[in-house]
Amino acid sequence: MKHAGRGIACMWYPIGFTVAANPSSAVVKVNEDGTATLLTGTVEVGQGSLTVLGQIVAQELGISAEDVHVISADTDVTPMDTGAIASRTTFVTGNAVRLAAAEAKSILLEVAAEMLGVEVRELEAANHQIRVKTFPEKRISLADVAMGAQIARGRPPLGSASFNPPTVAMDPETGQGKPFAAYVYATQITDVEVDDETGEVEVLHVYAAHDSGTAINPALVEGQVEGGIAMGIGMALSEEILFNPEGRQINPNLTNYLIPTSLDMPPIDIDIIESYDPVGPFGAKGVGEPTLVPTAPAILNAIYDAVGVRITDLPATAEKILMAIRKKERSNVKGLEPGEGDT
Amino acid sequence: MHQVEMMVNGQVRRAEVPAETTLLSVLRETWGLTGSKLGCDVGDCGACTVLVDGLSVNACLLLAVQVDGQEVLTIEGMGGFDYLHPIQAAFERLSSIQCGFCAPGIVISAKALIDKNPHPTEQEIREALAGNLCRCTGYTKIIEGIAEACRAPAITDGISVTESGHV
Amino acid sequence: MSEKPTKEKTADLGDLLAEPRVGQLPAVTRGPIPVVQALTVGANQQTPAVGQRVTRLDIRTHVTGSTRYIDDLAFPGMLHVKILRSTQAHARILSIDTTAARAMPGVVATLTGDEIPENSFGSSYQDQPVLAVDRVRHQGDGLVAIAAETEQQASDALAAVKVTYEPLPALFDPLEAIRPDAPKIHRDNNVYASKVIIRGDVEKGFAESDQIFERRYRTQMIEHVPMEPFAAIALWEPDGQLHVYSSNGRITLGRADLARTLQMPMNRIRVTATFIGGNFGGKNEIRTEPILALLAKKTRQPVKATFNREDEFIASTTRHPIIMDYKTGVADDGHLIARSVRLVLDGGAYASWSETTVGKAAILAAGPYRIPNVHVEGHAVYTNKTVTGAMRGFGAPQVAFAYESQMDEIANTLGMDPLAIRLLNGFSEGSISHTGQVLQAVALEETLLTAAKRSGWMEEGT
Repeated sequence: MKHAGRGIACMWYPIGFTVAANPSSAVVKVNEDGTATLLTGTVEVGQGSLTVLGQIVAQELGISAEDVHVISADTDVTPMDTGAIASRTTFVTGNAVRLAAAEAKSILLEVAAEMLGVEVRELEAANHQIRVKTFPEKRISLADVAMGAQIARGRPPLGSASFNPPTVAMDPETGQGKPFAAYVYATQITDVEVDDETGEVEVLHVYAAHDSGTAINPALVEGQVEGGIAMGIGMALSEEILFNPEGRQINPNLTNYLIPTSLDMPPIDIDIIESYDPVGPFGAKGVGEPTLVPTAPAILNAIYDAVGVRITDLPATAEKILMAIRKKERSNVKGLEPGEGDT
Repeated sequence: MHQVEMMVNGQVRRAEVPAETTLLSVLRETWGLTGSKLGCDVGDCGACTVLVDGLSVNACLLLAVQVDGQEVLTIEGMGGFDYLHPIQAAFERLSSIQCGFCAPGIVISAKALIDKNPHPTEQEIREALAGNLCRCTGYTKIIEGIAEACRAPAITDGISVTESGHV
Repeated sequence: MSEKPTKEKTADLGDLLAEPRVGQLPAVTRGPIPVVQALTVGANQQTPAVGQRVTRLDIRTHVTGSTRYIDDLAFPGMLHVKILRSTQAHARILSIDTTAARAMPGVVATLTGDEIPENSFGSSYQDQPVLAVDRVRHQGDGLVAIAAETEQQASDALAAVKVTYEPLPALFDPLEAIRPDAPKIHRDNNVYASKVIIRGDVEKGFAESDQIFERRYRTQMIEHVPMEPFAAIALWEPDGQLHVYSSNGRITLGRADLARTLQMPMNRIRVTATFIGGNFGGKNEIRTEPILALLAKKTRQPVKATFNREDEFIASTTRHPIIMDYKTGVADDGHLIARSVRLVLDGGAYASWSETTVGKAAILAAGPYRIPNVHVEGHAVYTNKTVTGAMRGFGAPQVAFAYESQMDEIANTLGMDPLAIRLLNGFSEGSISHTGQVLQAVALEETLLTAAKRSGWMEEGT
């Protein structure tokens, strides 16, 4: 017989390295036509970081994403970056590219102030223009400013900058300190169905609410959540490297090490919670790693809700769940404490 | 050594290969068609999926000599940079793909599906992708993208839009 | 988990073979392939750019199969490298004989660890050899690299290498390895990284609690499974600069490790990563790069090594299994009073990213909850198993499984709604973390309430 269950789990997760310096640097070049090129030493590993970094540069310069070309991942060409690790790219590299873009922009603003006959502090870059904040009709196109800066004034608009997240070292005895500059939070609720004759679990639905700070690109935030949930389902139910008694892996292949397929993935409802981080670029934090963190406990709590057994060692394979159900049934018959079918 | 000849993406290709050479190896190494990927070499992951005479196959499991005289479609025979198959266009709009390594195989599997069944249900899409592993996306936006592509006029009405606007 | 269905496709080999042979090629492709003009998605052209659903700048090359990953690159005269790995979990290496292997067809050169100028690497401690020389510590340690004209020839030559071992006692259980009398895997202590977090007085807290919950949780060893197996190419540019192409997510560190292992100045080394086909933490260290650099130098030819799927499992890193003992004291009204946690991480054969993992796991272990009395200690312990290192979440998925399972058990026992107990104890703006940090931009409650609302949790009356 199949039993439905629902479980909840929440989590917190930090952005960047634990105290240790993990700087990023970036170079932004504004071309004579108002388009821009970003040089970053991070590496695109699939999460969409280059797209996000391009959007941050575009936002700072008041241009659109397609106006920014991104060059990455070459130690001879691109400036130092700690790399694609620790959910740090949007927050740390994002701040570096924002600062680099701001430096290039400051040249553009100085030139535009001369061209418009106003003070720099009166100006902003928006919608491909530099304009007076309080009187947007007084404006000049970014392309004209960039061309004027380079050709007429000999000041090519170029910026370079670095960023390292602010932390405070931890006391070695008590661990007290400020190990990270920012944390994100998330909750996932899962619906499952457990077959008490086979122990098999089907994840029917996942509801995921994730704080990422400002979502620079909501589609990419969703992509991280969806992929993280897949990895969390694998952790909860099927994935495990097994060893023989001599210490050799038994299943080093995708035939016997089972990651979720398209048939294992449930529909997912995502809510992006946009808190505003005071340190992150435009309020952004990060989203890469934390997406999988609440999935396994939410599923395990749903399994308990469905059949009353609590599996305490992952993965919760069908065999393990079935044994726990049988054990619980035997305890109930003997009149022992019900409810705990611990493995 | 064995002579093989096949029609790959509408073009006749020939090679002389040892008997044990896989289709994937001849595609990638002899002809430079590196779009099909080697992810496991034993038919588990589907990153090497191509069509042979219209059937989707794992190119890592077939020997080149077994495909001699056949017609092969690889990802390079789908859209190019300026013209995309509706599946590719939908994946692009939705950012369906992340690291991209599974994408060539998934695009081919999706094409095989909608060639046979232009109006698949969500479950039919999931079943068609079951041999293509993806570790990044949870398949969510890939499945949405295929469903969206099936609603495109190019699929529903069989109309192709090319540069000159001709079908 | 569903069985992966066998595709109809592979069942048709016989039919395919029976089809027409050379000279009878079909004249045209089977049916036209519909195409649509590729258009820039509107979000890409919008300002302000932040908050837009901009399409990925690499998406078109991805969907058309034209993204160049490392294994898609080839250079004239390029050789292929395969690595012989240990068949022992823990052993002294008595001898390595490559004479017969060097005579195998197509073999151009071999490399052993004693030829590497500084044969060690590691992100915290440089305790891992690039190729093992005198001792192997897990079944995955590389011993000999062979460069041959084809990948198959390199693979075939591995069998001709003769290695003799003297087995040493091997440890596979971190609880055994942590005992003071256990055989040592490195140096004089198998515990190589620890972290302690103390806030308040946990014993006093337990004494003040109405109920105590105690349970042990365990997690498994997990592989990243990037769809792209790790690949790297090394070549020496005409001006003498080393150029390494590598699917490495951290090129800055990669270059530093190459400079260190090869004892070369950094400006003579260039590392290019193109695009990576999935990382998840498994491609954050060097793997084969120094080996390839030296073989390329020896042979004066470009050399490539692409991991097969088994290499990816046994010779890259994995997620730490953790044994987690949780003890939590609560008041009858559901307030958490005290929590003590002891974490033992199976640290595998080498340190890799374990120090970071034990640190993050310890910092996060008490959960996103206001608890006045907390004591956490975590230890990473060497075993003779696959190296455990960075993987998406760095210990957080493991401890979250424990703290959220226990929260559920507490709620259940107290007869509370699992949502309510989390709302009652959860961090909010300005809460103090277990390390004494004032938290800002805290959105925990909002995520709880939003997910609950979306799922209809309240209506269910769970």
